[in-house]
Amino acid sequence: MALTPQGAPAPATGLPGGPPLPEGDRGSKILGPLRAEGARGVVIAVVSTLVFFSVLVLVVVNSSGWPLIKESFFDGEVFAEAFPKVLEKFWRNVFIFCVAEVFVLIVAMIIAVLRSLSGPVFTPLRVLAAAYTDLFRAVPTILVIALLGFGAPALQIKGVPRSDVFWAIVALVLVYSAYVAEVYRAGIESVHPSQVASARALGLSRRKTLRFVVIPQAVRRVIPPLLNDFIGLQKDSALVAFLGYREALRESQIIQAEHFDFTPYVALALVYVVITIPQARFVDWLVARDRRRRQVGATL
Amino acid sequence: MSSQANGAVALRIEDLHKSFGKLEVLRGIDLEVDEHEVVGLIGASGSGKSTLLRCVNLLEPIDRGRILIEGDEITARGVDVNRIRQRIGIVFQAFNLFPHMSVIRNVTLGPIEALGASRGQAEGLATELLERFGLADKRDDYPDRLSGGQQQRVAIVRALAMKPDVVLLDEVTSALDPELVAEVLNVIRELAAGGMTMVIATHEMGFARDIANRVCFLDDGVILEQGPPDRIFTAPEQERTQRFLQSIIDAGRM
Amino acid sequence: MRKVLTILALTGLLLAACAEDDPTVGGETGGAFPATGTTGETAPTGPTTAATAADCATANADAFESAGTLTVATGTPAFPPWWEGGEVDGSEFEFNDPAKGQGYEGAVIADLTSRLGFSFPDQVTFVPIGFNKSFAPGPKDFDFVLQQISYLPERDEAVDFSESYYDAEQAVVTTKGSPIDGATSIADLADATLGAPIGTTSLAVIEDVIQPSVEPAVYDDLAGAIQDLKNGSIDGVVVDLPSAFFITAVQLDKGVIVGQIPTEEVPEYFGMVFETGSPLVECVNLGLQEMKADGTLDALEQEWLADATDVPVLT
Repeated sequence: MALTPQGAPAPATGLPGGPPLPEGDRGSKILGPLRAEGARGVVIAVVSTLVFFSVLVLVVVNSSGWPLIKESFFDGEVFAEAFPKVLEKFWRNVFIFCVAEVFVLIVAMIIAVLRSLSGPVFTPLRVLAAAYTDLFRAVPTILVIALLGFGAPALQIKGVPRSDVFWAIVALVLVYSAYVAEVYRAGIESVHPSQVASARALGLSRRKTLRFVVIPQAVRRVIPPLLNDFIGLQKDSALVAFLGYREALRESQIIQAEHFDFTPYVALALVYVVITIPQARFVDWLVARDRRRRQVGATL
Repeated sequence: MSSQANGAVALRIEDLHKSFGKLEVLRGIDLEVDEHEVVGLIGASGSGKSTLLRCVNLLEPIDRGRILIEGDEITARGVDVNRIRQRIGIVFQAFNLFPHMSVIRNVTLGPIEALGASRGQAEGLATELLERFGLADKRDDYPDRLSGGQQQRVAIVRALAMKPDVVLLDEVTSALDPELVAEVLNVIRELAAGGMTMVIATHEMGFARDIANRVCFLDDGVILEQGPPDRIFTAPEQERTQRFLQSIIDAGRM
Repeated sequence: MRKVLTILALTGLLLAACAEDDPTVGGETGGAFPATGTTGETAPTGPTTAATAADCATANADAFESAGTLTVATGTPAFPPWWEGGEVDGSEFEFNDPAKGQGYEGAVIADLTSRLGFSFPDQVTFVPIGFNKSFAPGPKDFDFVLQQISYLPERDEAVDFSESYYDAEQAVVTTKGSPIDGATSIADLADATLGAPIGTTSLAVIEDVIQPSVEPAVYDDLAGAIQDLKNGSIDGVVVDLPSAFFITAVQLDKGVIVGQIPTEEVPEYFGMVFETGSPLVECVNLGLQEMKADGTLDALEQEWLADATDVPVLT
C-alpha cells in the first residue's frame, strides 16, 4: 500500500485526521484520500492497526495453550477431510435459505401493507397483522421449527408433508416475515407523507399510490437492514438439523464427533464468511448506484 | 362577486367549515371561481389558505359545507374521490416530485395509471408540456438533480398533464431561493394567459397583483375581503387587511 | 444517562466473565489422601509400574483434579440402564443421580472407585457435562468422562481412552407395524429411512454396515430421533443395545427391537475419556482389568444389561 512520506505538508484547507474523500472522479481510492486532507490520520490509523493485530497474533500464538488450540481448531488433516464434505452439504442450506427468502420478502410485504392500511374498515386486518408479527418475533425460531417439523407430521393427516426441508422453510418464512415486515414498515413510514399526498392528489388510488410511489421508495431505503435479516436467515437455515436433516452444520458436527476436534466448525465458518462478504459488497454497490443516479451530493 | 372573466362557474365553495380537533381553522368560507378566472389567496400564516386548498382537493375531509366543481358536488356521499382529484390539479410548497422516478416518468405516471392513457399518448403530452416550459432537456433526469425552481415547474407540468379543470397552487414559491422564484412565476403567468382556471395561495403580492383577476384576503378562517387586486392592494376596506398589507410592506416584500 | 448505560454494560461484561459453568456436586472433598490399598502396603512414590489400581492411584495422587477425590463427569439427564435409582433433591442430575451407584455405569464406577482406593460415594464428585466439553482442549475440571462414549481411532488422537468397560452392540429399534417390523436381515433394511443421534457410532453402523439407499437422519439427541420414529417420518432408529431396551420399554409405545447389528466390521466399545497424557488412564485400566479378572464386570453386565442375550442378530 503506497504511503506518502512522513512530514508531507498538510493541505491548506485540510484538517489532519479529517475524513478521506470517497472514490469517484477524484482519483484513485488509495492515493486520493492520501493526497487530500487527513493523510497523516490515515497513516496513523493503518500503522496502529497493523501493530495491534501483530501483537495480538504474537500473544496468541506464543501462549502456552496455543499448540492445543491449533490441534483442536486448526488441524490441517481434519480440515482437509471436513471442508469438501461440509461444502457439499452447504448447498442444502443454500436451497433452504434461497427459497425461504423469496417467500419472506413477499409475505413480509403483505403483512407490512396490511399494518399500514388506515381507516376503521381495515382494523381487523391491522390487528391480525400486528398479532402475527408479535407472535412470530416472540417464539424462538428453533421452537417454531420443532413444533412444525415434529408436530405437523405427528398429526397423521393425509397429505400433510413430512419433509424436514418443507417444514423448516415454512417455519423460517413464518418467523422471518415477522421481522422483515417490521423493516418494511419502518421504510414505509419513512416516506414523507407529502409523497402520498402528491400521488393521491393526482387521482391515483390508494393501491396504486402504494405500488408506484410508497413501496419503491420504502424498499430502497431499507435494503441494508433487509440484507441483515437475510444473512441471519442464512445462519438459521442450520436449524433444520434439529429435525434430523443433514445440512452443513450437522455435517460438521458429525465429523467433529468422529474426531473429537472442532476444526470442522472452522471450515464451516470459512464457508459462511466467503459467501457473506460478497453479499455485503453487493448491497453497498446497489445503494451507491441508486444514490449516484438520484442524488446530487451523493459523492461528497 | 364574479369577476371580469365571464362564463360558467368552475369552482363553488359554500359555507365551508373545517376543524382540527378543537381548533376551527375554516369558519364558513364562501367562494365562487369562474372558468378562466385566476383568484389569488392572501393572508397570514395559519389563516387557513393551505387548508382551504387541501379541502377543495379532498385531501382533508370537511366538517360542514359544500364544494362543487363544474356544478358537480364533490362533497356528496359516494363520490369517486380519485376521479375528482383527477380533475383538480394541486401543487404544494415542497416534496412534490417522486424522487425515485425520472422527470418524464413523474409526469406520465398520473395519465397512465389514473387516466388510463397509453404510454405513447402520455409521453407525447408530457414532452409537449416540458418543451413548452423549457424543461425538455431534463426529461430523463431525476428530481434531485434539478434546482428548486425546475422542480416546481415540473410539478406544475405534472399537474397539467392530467388536464384538470382547475389548478390550485399552494405557496409554490415560498420554499424557493429568490432567484428561482421568477421562472416559476413565469410559468404560472403563461398558464393564466392560456386561460387556466386557478386559485393561487401566495405571498408574492406583486405577482398576485399582476395576474389575479380577484384577490381574496383570508383572515382567521373567513374571507374577510375580496375584490380586484388594484383595489385590495391600494385601498383595502377592512382594517385587518390594511394591517396585514402594512406588515408585508414593512417586511420589504411589496 | 450515557454514564449509567456504560456502567451497566461494563458490569454485565464482568459478571459474564466471572460466571462459572461447571458447578461441582456430590460427595465432600476429603482432605486426606486415598486410603492405602487393600493389601495394606505403603505405595512407592513416583511413576513406577504399580501392581494394583490403588497403588497406581496413590502413585499419581497429584494427577487428580481434586486431591483425595475422584471427579467423574457424565451427562444429564442420566439415562437408564446406564444410571438408575431415581433423582435426588438438589442434585444437578435429572432422571437418576450417579451418586447412587446404580445402573450399569453407576455400578461400574462404584466398584472402580474402591479399587482405586477411594470410598464411594463420599470421595467421589460427579460433574454434569455437555458432550462437546468432554473433548474440548484445555485443562479439565474432572478426571475422566463416563458417558457411553465409543472408542474411535480418530477420537483417540484428541483424547485418551481407557480400555473397554462395555463391548457395545448396536440395535435397530422400530415401532410395531412399521415397514421394517419383522425384518430378519440387513438386506431387509435396504430401503429404510433410519435415524441416529449425533456423536454415536450408530451413524457409522448405518453408513458402513447397513448401507441403506436412503440417507439417514441425524439428530441432536435421541429425543428427536424417537419423535420422528413415532411420527412415522423415519422407519427405525439405531442405538446401542442397552439404550434400545430402555427406549422400547419406556419411551415408545409399541416399540420393537428389530435386531442387533453384527459388529465385526465396526468393533465398538465404550471407554472412559481422559485428557491426553493423563497418568490416570493406567490406574483406571488396572482397575478394569481387575474387574474383568474376578468376574465383577460380567456380573454387573448380567445384573443391569441382562436382556441383551435374546435379541436376534441381523445378518
